[in-house]
Amino acid sequence: MKITRIGRASSVAVVAALALAACGSSSNNDSSSSAPAGGSGSGAAAGTATASGAGDCFSGSLNAAGSTAQQNAITQAISSYQSKCNGAKVSYNGTGSGAGITSFIAKQVDFAGSDSALSPDKGEPAKAKAACGSDALNLPMVTGPIAVAFNVKGVDKLNLTPDLIAKIFSGKITKWNDPEIAAANKGAKLPDTNISVFFRSDESGTTDNFTNYMNKTAPKIWTDEKSKKWTGKVGQGKSKTAGVATAVKATDGGIGYIEWGYAVQNKLNFASVNGVELTGASAGKAVEAAQVVGTGKDLSLKLDYTTKEPGAYPIILVTYEIVCSKYADATKGKNVKSFLSYMASPDFQKTLEGVGAAPLPAEIQSKVVDSINSIS
Amino acid sequence: MSLDVKDIPASEAGDLGGIDHGKSGIRVLKNNIATVLIWAAFLIALIPLVWILWTVLSKGLSTILTVTWWQKDQSGVGAPGFDTNVRGARHAIIGTLEIAAATSVIAIPIAVMTAIYLVEYGRGKLARGVSFMVDILSGVPSIVAGLFIYAVWVTFFGWKLNAFCSSLALVLLMVPVVCRSTEEMLKLVPNELREASYALGVPKWKTIVKVVLPTSFSGIVTGSLLGFARVAGETAPLLILAQYTQFLNYNLFSGNMAALPTLINVNVPNMAGDQVSADRVWGAACTLILLVLVINLLGRLIGRLTRVKS
Repeated sequence: MKITRIGRASSVAVVAALALAACGSSSNNDSSSSAPAGGSGSGAAAGTATASGAGDCFSGSLNAAGSTAQQNAITQAISSYQSKCNGAKVSYNGTGSGAGITSFIAKQVDFAGSDSALSPDKGEPAKAKAACGSDALNLPMVTGPIAVAFNVKGVDKLNLTPDLIAKIFSGKITKWNDPEIAAANKGAKLPDTNISVFFRSDESGTTDNFTNYMNKTAPKIWTDEKSKKWTGKVGQGKSKTAGVATAVKATDGGIGYIEWGYAVQNKLNFASVNGVELTGASAGKAVEAAQVVGTGKDLSLKLDYTTKEPGAYPIILVTYEIVCSKYADATKGKNVKSFLSYMASPDFQKTLEGVGAAPLPAEIQSKVVDSINSIS
Repeated sequence: MSLDVKDIPASEAGDLGGIDHGKSGIRVLKNNIATVLIWAAFLIALIPLVWILWTVLSKGLSTILTVTWWQKDQSGVGAPGFDTNVRGARHAIIGTLEIAAATSVIAIPIAVMTAIYLVEYGRGKLARGVSFMVDILSGVPSIVAGLFIYAVWVTFFGWKLNAFCSSLALVLLMVPVVCRSTEEMLKLVPNELREASYALGVPKWKTIVKVVLPTSFSGIVTGSLLGFARVAGETAPLLILAQYTQFLNYNLFSGNMAALPTLINVNVPNMAGDQVSADRVWGAACTLILLVLVINLLGRLIGRLTRVKS
């Protein structure tokens, strides 16, 4: 029995594993290390309403999860924040708003992304307060217009009214050449195709905002209250925004509600509402009509879906970052503050349109910066 | 073929002393049909295997042949559709290896000792019970293992998830695999060896340590490495327990850690609209297959090097 061989063989394995683990450097920072790290003095940005973004860099990691609606925006923010602050490692998992809040309450993440503010009906603010040891704040961060994406052969442009949207998504209109759709689209050639409705099968803030929109603008047709879970009776459920987008793209006659960014990315057509096309500017106008209903530093918004503002695209959602007002771990609080300051800064907000999101209106933006500065 | 010679006419039996294939048409026909069927079954079984390999290699090979893929992580990754760099998978490769290694460190001793108990000591009700439990454990769906650890770790204790949780869930999957293969290996050790050892007055524990284990060592190593390869590619528990991050993290006990399956999972939703995401998915799939292949080969090699010469 050659026991010596055992040692030799296993040492080969160990050496191989070590060699595999040891070679090469880890990150992609080489290219971005030329960016200046900014003033690293602590509190450089604190106190002023226009935080200069990467005023105080941190090194370490932050963990966040939640809404897929802001995934593109926050991925972009992480990447550009990291190019300013080398050691800052922020990870964001797009698990959906519901899962994000659950993780936040279970203390699994440092902050959560959500398409709706914490809901008092479900006792979420109290649970979040218990998890934080202090009040949790809803901070609006990114405006995500919801596109009503459709796929009808031969139709590029479609105009819908709130009533039509509610009728289509509740199954009261089932054909694309329905006279009511034709009336809103004079001159368009609508085919005799069945309408296939797609909705989100997971709990989603997008669904919450979209059902709220239908309930507020066409209460007689869409009678259900807003809900994170789809309560409609027709259509097929698909997982996550990407699932709905893929399904609409693959189905002739398909229609679904998805975040604007995904519609652009998947090259899908999306409908105008009351003749207003969806653009960053038209969505921004709708946010301006929103009211702040949060108290103190909490900035929950009440969106006005029935806004009569000319040129406003009304189906929008505002995605929030849900944070603790005071973190048990002070460093954590400082890190969250530093990253969110950057995300709320005008410098970053103006790049949002590139990834299919709209910037916050200036008035709300300055309130957000104010609230972020109060985090400790 | 155990045909009775008596059944065959003397004239035919004369030249071969058995069967003459050329003379009985029906037998030849049956033989040919059976051959064709068996070959067809074999080829059908090969189709998905070759197809998978072809798809993964054709789509992923170009990605993994770049140096960046092995040297960098995904830090600085941009929004899908707006990022033109594939970047690397180093964080996920290291993560997969570390998680699987931690799993092995816990699972292999438990599994090997259970197997030793079952083969060398176990008699009666307890042994039957243990054996039954191992069977049940091997039938537990992997997602249930993940849910179980989540329930214990987060819901019950209220701790923060880390990469080690994934290892714990994978332990539940690895133990039965390694235990069963080790058991088979120990059963293969001839009883004469044990008896010879006892006859020389060697106690039972020493016989096991010095005779039984070294004799079956190559088989145990092979079985363990196959278990390692299995958990390296396991996905379901990671979907629940492993929080993906785009950064390299060596620490199993703090922070998020990426693994190849989660790297795939994160990029799959964007595959349809974004070629770069698709490249990452296929690259990671290719890497995972390659990793499992290398580990399997390593298992064979170690098995061969440590084989006991008779």
